[in-house]
Amino acid sequence: MAEIQVLILGLLLGGVYALMASGLTLLFGVMRVVNLAHAAFIVLAAFCSFYLWEFAGIDPLISIVLIMPSFFVLGMVLYRVLFPRIEGTPRFTEMTVLMTFGLAFVAEGLMARFFGGIFRSASPPYARDAIILGDYYVPTGQLLASTASLVLLLGLWAFLKFTRTGYGVRATMQNRDAAQIVGVDVRRVSTISFGIGMAMAGAAGALVSFLFPFFPARHWQWIAILLSLIVLGGMGSLKGAVVGALLLAVVSSFVSHTLGPVWAPITFFGALFLILLVRPQGLFGKKARV
Amino acid sequence: MAQTDVVRTAESTPAKGRTKGTVSRWSVLTMVIVIALVLPMLRSMSSYQYVLSVGTVVFMWISMTASWNILGGYTGYISLGHNVFFAAGGYVSGLLLLELGWSPFATAIVAGVFSLLMGGVAGLITYRTHGPSFIISTIALLLVATLLMDNWAFLGGSNGLSLPLPSLSPSWVKVPFYYAMFLAAAGAVYLGHRVQHSKFGMALRAIAQDEVKAEVAGIDTRRYKLMAFALSAFFPGVVGALWGYNIAYLRPIIFLQIAIAARMVLMAIVGGRGTVAGPVIGAILVVAFDETAVDLFGGSEINLVITGALLILMLQFFPGGIIGTLRDRNRLPAWLDWD
Amino acid sequence: MPLLAVQGLKAGYGVGPDILADVSIDVEAGRTYCVIGPNGAGKSTLLKTVAGIVKPRDGVITFDGASVGGLRPDQILRAGICFVPQDRTLFPQMSVRENLVMGGYLIRDRHRLNERLELVFEMFPRLAERSAQMAQTMSGGEQQLLALGRALMIEPKLMMIDEPSLGLAPRVTSQIFDVIRSLSRDLGITVLLIEQNVKKGLEVSDWAFVLDLGTKRFEGPAGEILDDPRIRDLYLGKLADRGGS
Repeated sequence: MAEIQVLILGLLLGGVYALMASGLTLLFGVMRVVNLAHAAFIVLAAFCSFYLWEFAGIDPLISIVLIMPSFFVLGMVLYRVLFPRIEGTPRFTEMTVLMTFGLAFVAEGLMARFFGGIFRSASPPYARDAIILGDYYVPTGQLLASTASLVLLLGLWAFLKFTRTGYGVRATMQNRDAAQIVGVDVRRVSTISFGIGMAMAGAAGALVSFLFPFFPARHWQWIAILLSLIVLGGMGSLKGAVVGALLLAVVSSFVSHTLGPVWAPITFFGALFLILLVRPQGLFGKKARV
Repeated sequence: MAQTDVVRTAESTPAKGRTKGTVSRWSVLTMVIVIALVLPMLRSMSSYQYVLSVGTVVFMWISMTASWNILGGYTGYISLGHNVFFAAGGYVSGLLLLELGWSPFATAIVAGVFSLLMGGVAGLITYRTHGPSFIISTIALLLVATLLMDNWAFLGGSNGLSLPLPSLSPSWVKVPFYYAMFLAAAGAVYLGHRVQHSKFGMALRAIAQDEVKAEVAGIDTRRYKLMAFALSAFFPGVVGALWGYNIAYLRPIIFLQIAIAARMVLMAIVGGRGTVAGPVIGAILVVAFDETAVDLFGGSEINLVITGALLILMLQFFPGGIIGTLRDRNRLPAWLDWD
Repeated sequence: MPLLAVQGLKAGYGVGPDILADVSIDVEAGRTYCVIGPNGAGKSTLLKTVAGIVKPRDGVITFDGASVGGLRPDQILRAGICFVPQDRTLFPQMSVRENLVMGGYLIRDRHRLNERLELVFEMFPRLAERSAQMAQTMSGGEQQLLALGRALMIEPKLMMIDEPSLGLAPRVTSQIFDVIRSLSRDLGITVLLIEQNVKKGLEVSDWAFVLDLGTKRFEGPAGEILDDPRIRDLYLGKLADRGGS
């Protein structure tokens, strides 16, 4: 049945979107930061992965090992440079939106300047392969990407649940003031969380490098999709990001199948407007004035 | 009792410091207007066409930024997709020209009204959103518009539509655009001024300060937000109509690239959000900065970097913009205080 | 030497005006102090500044001989000062037990953490009963008990409590104040308390500070302060007072 095939493709896509969105929602949950530049950094990581493949023959999946730590450090540095000064201001979240808006342009401009504006795509052998399961085919590249995504998301979950710093992160996500009162160093937690968010973006970028053709300006469409995802799932909720990603990816696959791939993004935006009208805090979000 | 409290607070907010200087705002304004009106007549001036085109562009940005300011500055609702109205205006007038032969100079107002209505619709779609979710919605709106217009054959899709040129000699052809944009700029700034000094404006400021308190005080925040959204869409529609005719070409990417929305935001923030003179100063400075940067560095990628970097720097160090920062330090000259 | 000595403290929020203009108080170990004063006097701000949540703009804060002004909240907590804010600020989606464990976040030794947990459960049997219940589903009084229990987890020397009776029914309030009394009496903890319910607050306290407009106006034994004529002037005549300054 064509429907099962579409479902398979949708779920695989959802796995990758979940990874892409996880860093974004983590940043909001811990620090109330909406990072409009998140997808721009995913594209940056994709470029890094692409060039590592083209010039050093390093497989994109392997490059994750190099990219994640570097992006982690990049994230911590960016946080320390850009956010402390605006920390106490009223409407802090809106300020972060505007600032990361600017950051996205800086990143895009630099990428366009140094990498050029043409479409790129890394092509390791598995990018073209597919596994045949009876009537259905499973693209190998997507399967590997989703598996990597699953592993990384489980790692994130384990970090949050079992490590002391992870405990501190979770506490800060639930109630920043309470965390401060029991002695969590919220500044340190925020810095580390930003690093983690960037590291997740870095890993996602490495996957993107062989999954989708990308170019510097592509990040706008992705950030809009990711934002729609996390609004649907509930901003700040990792569970929501995963559920939102899988749900919307599957629906958009069906839309793509019936109306044509060009209309797939409409799914995400439609869902965004719908959820904002019906249940603004999203599926798993807290009932605050978002 | 509570309503007057909120209103009183909102009223006392704009002018924080005292303005200084003896050069009054009226003499400066008159001077500026006279120069602007006379400029196209100085045909023997060197780089005449360049000056004319820069002037036209500056007026266009003033008009758009001053309009954006009504929603983003006075009401505090930041729209990052405001150029949908710019596109709407361009296409409405362009299509009227192609189908009925009506000149966009005449139909620009119609385009403005159409945009105003679209602004109302956008306000309805986003009426339950605030702060960050509102901003996200505006980006989504922009992208939905891009998707639709790129794929709608009637509008020419992503390849766009060509428009006929106005029937004037090449050396004079840009002059009417200059004056039309000037009128649009003056109109938008005047609209901003009127809103600033009306009860409507006070309500908007109350919403910007604390929406919950404003609601509790009895202000119908949803209706006012809707009105602000609609009003802020009018002039972008008008200048969109004029701009489309000016470049004689309609293509979604020209109007809908997010960098245009970013420019509007940057100009408002550089000049000073929520002030009347802010958008004007911001537009002039950013365009001037752009022109010099293009001279020095060339290329549009550097433009993006500069837009972004400027925005970050302003937000870090001068969030009130030029007008806001000067006012906070009690150094705002009277001729810049148009509030 | 006083356990906590505050001299000439000035503080405010963000870029706003000074809420504390010049506060100086001395807190002796083992006693219970009550801070009273009209609204806007700066009582909460005083506690928050000592706790490190608000940065001081001027002045000195000395605790146990060491200077703690301007330190981070977690550093001040390590020094032995605990803060229970007005709205309790619990972790809504964590259970009672998890909230208490979070209270011991700074304790790295698992044994000591479990010991403290046992102690708190002994002191507050109600919390032991509900140890798996989510914090946000508890009643106001139970939440206040949880907030106090959480503060006890790191064995504080000084406990600062901001309006413990806020939003609680009178009967529950009495129970809470019994607990506060036993903090000092049975555990030897120094308590610095803010209470709008002035009578109740003074009943459990040894000494009172009276704050207004960001300064300490006067102080005295808790039992006698209400008879001081200056109190009446302060609360009733405060309009004239503020007009003058």
